Amino acid sequence: MKTIILGVGNLILGDDGIGIHVIHHLKKHIENKDIVLDEAMTGGMNLLDKIIGYDKAILIDAVNIKEVAVGEVKRFLIQDFTSVHSCNPHDVSLIEAITLAETLGDKHIPKKIIVIGIVLHEMPLEFTETLSPKVAAAIPKAVEAVISELNET
Amino acid sequence: MKTITIDPITRLEGHGKINIFLDDKGNVENAYIQIPELRGFERFSQGRRAEDMPQITSRICGVCPVAHHFASNKALDAAFNVEPTIAAKKLRELMYCGYIIYDHILHFYYLGGPDFVVGPDAPAAKRNILGVIEKAGLDIGKEVIKHRAYGQKITAILGGKATHPVCGIPGGISKGLDKNEVSEIKKMVDSCIDFAKFSLKIFDDIVLQNKDYVDLIKSDPYQLNTYNMGLVDDKNKLNFYDGLIRVTDQKGDEYLKFPGKDFYKHVIERVEEWSYMKFPYLKAIGWKGLTDGADSGIYRVGPLGRLNASEGMATPFADKEFNRMFETFGGTPVNSTLAFHWARLIELLYVTERSKELISDKDITSNKIRNPVGKPGEGFGVVEAARGTLIHHYKLNEKGLIDKANLIVATTNNAGAITMSVRDAAKGVIQNGNVNEGLLNKIEMAFRAYDPCFACATHALPGGMSMQVDIYDTKKKLYKTFHQ
Repeated sequence: MKTIILGVGNLILGDDGIGIHVIHHLKKHIENKDIVLDEAMTGGMNLLDKIIGYDKAILIDAVNIKEVAVGEVKRFLIQDFTSVHSCNPHDVSLIEAITLAETLGDKHIPKKIIVIGIVLHEMPLEFTETLSPKVAAAIPKAVEAVISELNET
Repeated sequence: MKTITIDPITRLEGHGKINIFLDDKGNVENAYIQIPELRGFERFSQGRRAEDMPQITSRICGVCPVAHHFASNKALDAAFNVEPTIAAKKLRELMYCGYIIYDHILHFYYLGGPDFVVGPDAPAAKRNILGVIEKAGLDIGKEVIKHRAYGQKITAILGGKATHPVCGIPGGISKGLDKNEVSEIKKMVDSCIDFAKFSLKIFDDIVLQNKDYVDLIKSDPYQLNTYNMGLVDDKNKLNFYDGLIRVTDQKGDEYLKFPGKDFYKHVIERVEEWSYMKFPYLKAIGWKGLTDGADSGIYRVGPLGRLNASEGMATPFADKEFNRMFETFGGTPVNSTLAFHWARLIELLYVTERSKELISDKDITSNKIRNPVGKPGEGFGVVEAARGTLIHHYKLNEKGLIDKANLIVATTNNAGAITMSVRDAAKGVIQNGNVNEGLLNKIEMAFRAYDPCFACATHALPGGMSMQVDIYDTKKKLYKTFHQ
């Protein structure tokens, strides 16, 4: 089974880059030719392009859930998200991109798309490469969550 | 199954938030669009190696990485006092064409087009690419996907990576093309030319043949009589990659023409206390508030701004389409905001034809792709991003490190016009305190035409456009709220 683990976010926008920081840490733990680690500073259609052709995709990204404390790590299936909006007006959602590919008969969409979300309450608006302490502290938990996901079939 | 709903508004504070203020008769007095701006770029850049800037700035925006990459690259050429080789310029421009191909296709078929193809009054759930395919057929969907991917492939072959290019260096480019790559690109380009022509035919059949749509395009809420701005070549033909910035007036005549380094001689930014956005305007004309006309210094950039600011397209088929558009509207300039969609497709045809010229050029396989750099100093770089004029300005110290960095992004250049278009669209649907159901859609159509790219995290878990409209009465008390 071919799996892609994709860190999503922007490395120069502080906590938004958490997904990519997690990927950097995962590289120390994972060595398997069937598992690809990659980063995506993009969304929507470009994200679909990245995961197409794999059996399973694990996305690591920041999510905003007010009811959950900052730095908590949550697991979702992509189908769990119904009205998740992009901050980017020039793109479609990953869900829309997937539905489109399915409609056109694409057979290469991963059967399972999992999201490991690290909770933020505010999207960062200041350029920096540094994570805030609470979010940085989530890295080991997120690494663990991804590894236990790999053990699932 | 568990369902999670994440409020789009709380997710990015203030994003896409529109405030409408009514007068005592219940008509629109003012409307403001609130957009957060990313902060601290200058401090972030300070002390960094200048040659890293094309990579860093291409990460500012998940949408226009190629535009930032080359605006940055051109600023570095100037700052290091080096002229890129002829082959490097052509390779950069070809890659740039690839970017415009995929960006414009995405906008027309996925974002802007659905309003027309599916219909402006169709439910929001249908006004998307899936609705387009339902109406136009699966085969068209496949062509859309294929040609968007071609644009990306061309960019990736030249740039090293599909989204974030790594090829641009001061004085040139790090990688040339071999013969196999040339023949691969040629095939894709030929197909893209046909697809661009086909797209214009779709626009003809679906939009221009429909009287209701034509009336909508020509209706008052969607007209803005501003100045227009865009890059032109030495014959005043539209150019994306290089040239002088040309500004035309309300009669379509040239008002200004200047190199990027003179930008701040002619343009100044207005700060309004209610917005994070800055509003650039033409200095000599002056700021008259958010109003159009010859006395107001507000200008438009982007596809329609560019076509209005130029005297034609440099390739034959696109030039024919250029003339047809202006004839249809009865001359220059065209002031209908919804004509941005038409202009965008004419540009799509131009970049495909231009790609063909470039890939057939004998210089394109040359290995003279880099000139040695001179002493570090100061430089401006200007390109036309898909959504308008983009400027990078750097000052380097004697070690070649960034001392000062400033960016003027396309959507900022359109800030005044977008705000006015939103206000006018709101005026059309709110009368005497009655709010029509089509409010959100009509407002969305107004600013979507500009294909704005707001400062944003490239953050993924995505969705369509999010928007909240709050309407306030004369006492600034919240009267109604709409969500989408």
